[in-house]
Amino acid sequence: MIQTADRARPPRLPWFVAFLAKRLVWALVTLVIFVTAVFFFMQVWVPYSWATQFMQGGRDAFEGAREAVGLDRPLIERYVDFMLGLARGDLGTAFGGGTVVNYGTGPVVDIIRHALPVTLTVFITGSIIGWVVGEMLGRLGSWNRGRISGAAISVAGVLSATIFPPFLVFLLIRWLRQPLLDAREAMGLPRDSLDLWRGALVGEAGAPTQGDVRWLVALGLSAALVVGLVVRSYGRRHQLALVEGLAIPAMLLGVGVGIWISGLGAHAIDLLYRVDIAATTGRGSPGLALVGIVLISFGQVMLLMRAGMEAEGSEDYVLTGRAKGLTERAVRDRHVARNVMAPVLAGSFLTFPTVLAGMIIVEYELQMQGLSSVLFYAIEFQDIPLIMGVMVVLGLIGIGFRLVTDVTIASLDPRQRGGRA
Amino acid sequence: MTALTEPLAAAAAATPSGRARRVALNPKILAGLAILALFALLTVAQPLLEATVWDGKANVYDPRFGFDTTIAHPSAPSATHWLGTSSLGRDVFSMLTYATRPTFLVALTAGSSIAAVSLIFGSIAAYRRGWVDGFVSHLSDAMVLLPAMLAVFILGISRPNAEFGALHVGFTFGVIYGFGPAVATVRAAAMTVVAKPFMDAARVAGGGGGWIVTRHILPHLYAHAAVQAMIGATGAVIADAFLSFRSAVGEDVGFGMMVYDGIIWSSLMAGIAPVPWWIMVAGAGGITLLAAAFYLVGVGLREALDPRTRGVLR
Repeated sequence: MIQTADRARPPRLPWFVAFLAKRLVWALVTLVIFVTAVFFFMQVWVPYSWATQFMQGGRDAFEGAREAVGLDRPLIERYVDFMLGLARGDLGTAFGGGTVVNYGTGPVVDIIRHALPVTLTVFITGSIIGWVVGEMLGRLGSWNRGRISGAAISVAGVLSATIFPPFLVFLLIRWLRQPLLDAREAMGLPRDSLDLWRGALVGEAGAPTQGDVRWLVALGLSAALVVGLVVRSYGRRHQLALVEGLAIPAMLLGVGVGIWISGLGAHAIDLLYRVDIAATTGRGSPGLALVGIVLISFGQVMLLMRAGMEAEGSEDYVLTGRAKGLTERAVRDRHVARNVMAPVLAGSFLTFPTVLAGMIIVEYELQMQGLSSVLFYAIEFQDIPLIMGVMVVLGLIGIGFRLVTDVTIASLDPRQRGGRA
Repeated sequence: MTALTEPLAAAAAATPSGRARRVALNPKILAGLAILALFALLTVAQPLLEATVWDGKANVYDPRFGFDTTIAHPSAPSATHWLGTSSLGRDVFSMLTYATRPTFLVALTAGSSIAAVSLIFGSIAAYRRGWVDGFVSHLSDAMVLLPAMLAVFILGISRPNAEFGALHVGFTFGVIYGFGPAVATVRAAAMTVVAKPFMDAARVAGGGGGWIVTRHILPHLYAHAAVQAMIGATGAVIADAFLSFRSAVGEDVGFGMMVYDGIIWSSLMAGIAPVPWWIMVAGAGGITLLAAAFYLVGVGLREALDPRTRGVLR
């Protein structure tokens, strides 16, 4: 592509700098196409006319409502405005609930910013755990082919991919709520979450807020994971089996103990299982949502991983590995699984839209105050800017996942580092 | 050791007849087809039962307006009501058979639009390359981010079934899913076909674009499109069920509505009446079994083709 690069021989950058730059340009182009698609879907395909709610007031009220929110302007003008606004990080202003309620007026960005932390925490954590569980089960299942456990894993995977999310939520509330409540009580947490956060609510100086604790936990866990991975690869290089095996669990345990010692343990657990407004139904609990998301997201990954492992199992290098006396586990985890990983990652990204929709239903049915409640509220009241805003944010989450997938694939497989953008 | 004979089996499987055998023997495909046959029986069961067992008892067994005045509702499964009755006094088995047909229609519409969209755009992109391919693949990259299920919800929630029925759900889902994951996969498969030597031979033989695409590219893509159609149909069934679950009117019978009936009854009557599991299990079981049937056939086909399709993401 770049002919001069060989002649000039610039100082060599790590591969991922060029790779990441290319992928970011690609992400920007994709985002523009995505937003355009969402815009025309919402403004042309969807037969919403938010202003019909005002029709009872006669023609003047109807026309006035259309004018007030700018629905009377030409399509192209609205499109250019929307794109320019987006470039400034402005998603427009929600129409508001019309004549019915007043919830949700104001800038879309503010509404979404308020709802996003819960959704992001639960979706990202849930889908990562779901992916890891799926990968592990797929790996084990492929080596247990023909046994009962292998068949059971298959059935579980298909169920996970096809279960009706609202029914799953019903089962979770029915069977998991009480044990979680008991566990909460056993740890000596107050029955009402409000008691824990009262300090922050009344404006006491130095009292931890939910945002603080959420950031602390997220940073602590990521730091532990990074340090753990480094220590693990050190242990692997120097053949220290104990160091290799214990690195990540020990680091995670360390962060957990650290949070507990700092006196924020109760707050961190409360974030996971909250008992507030809807204490009687046990709803609004991120802990339950997390379980639900893991349950609906592991299946597709598991089936992909398993099929890949089974097909790869007939390759020559597997025979070679066995012949030179490697243990079955080493063949499975070190050789076959690593070869399968890249296509499985790529394939599981394509299941993303279905899984995302499932996650949104789970979150909504648990009545969490996240993106899903904003989305369904907006659908109910035909609040076009709010729906578009939520879709754009979901698209951004998707692009984020895609970039992580691409970087992971490239670091697993050097052939992919060209970054055909 | 079976492990030693596996390479031989794989070599045999690489031939076309081997692939057909793998499709015919795949337990997932067989299970999926068996469930589909069961549901096909259920769709014909409704008119058959109305003509025989339920003859003249439309006031009791009609899926929408039936009401058995002799018992309290919801009632557990019994000899007169095989799957019990719902909180509105409808016969659950009658609801189940009645709701199967529109759900099938959703799956078929979604599946065929996914297959059509992905075959047309996947093959043309691979054949024409250049800006056509750039356009199609960038579009599919973007459309993967737009969940088809959410598009269906945006269009269909709080609209009556007459206005946004099975065909609408299937078509909306199919087009959006088709342009997203389905085109991405089928295009990737088409690229490997286009790179094969017989393509040059076809060109040298003087084949025009239309002839090459229909005779030499498409036949290699049907199986890949079928995989996408089947897996996509799964999502369409669940999306349709959620619309039915959320339908405020509840005038039309659907699987999702049955689950809602059970959930709302058990939350209203918590601690007073037992949970009417039969309604929920019939509804959720119908959704999951039908979705799983399509999913199993799709996944089984994918495994028989070659699961290690590389380069799905560009």
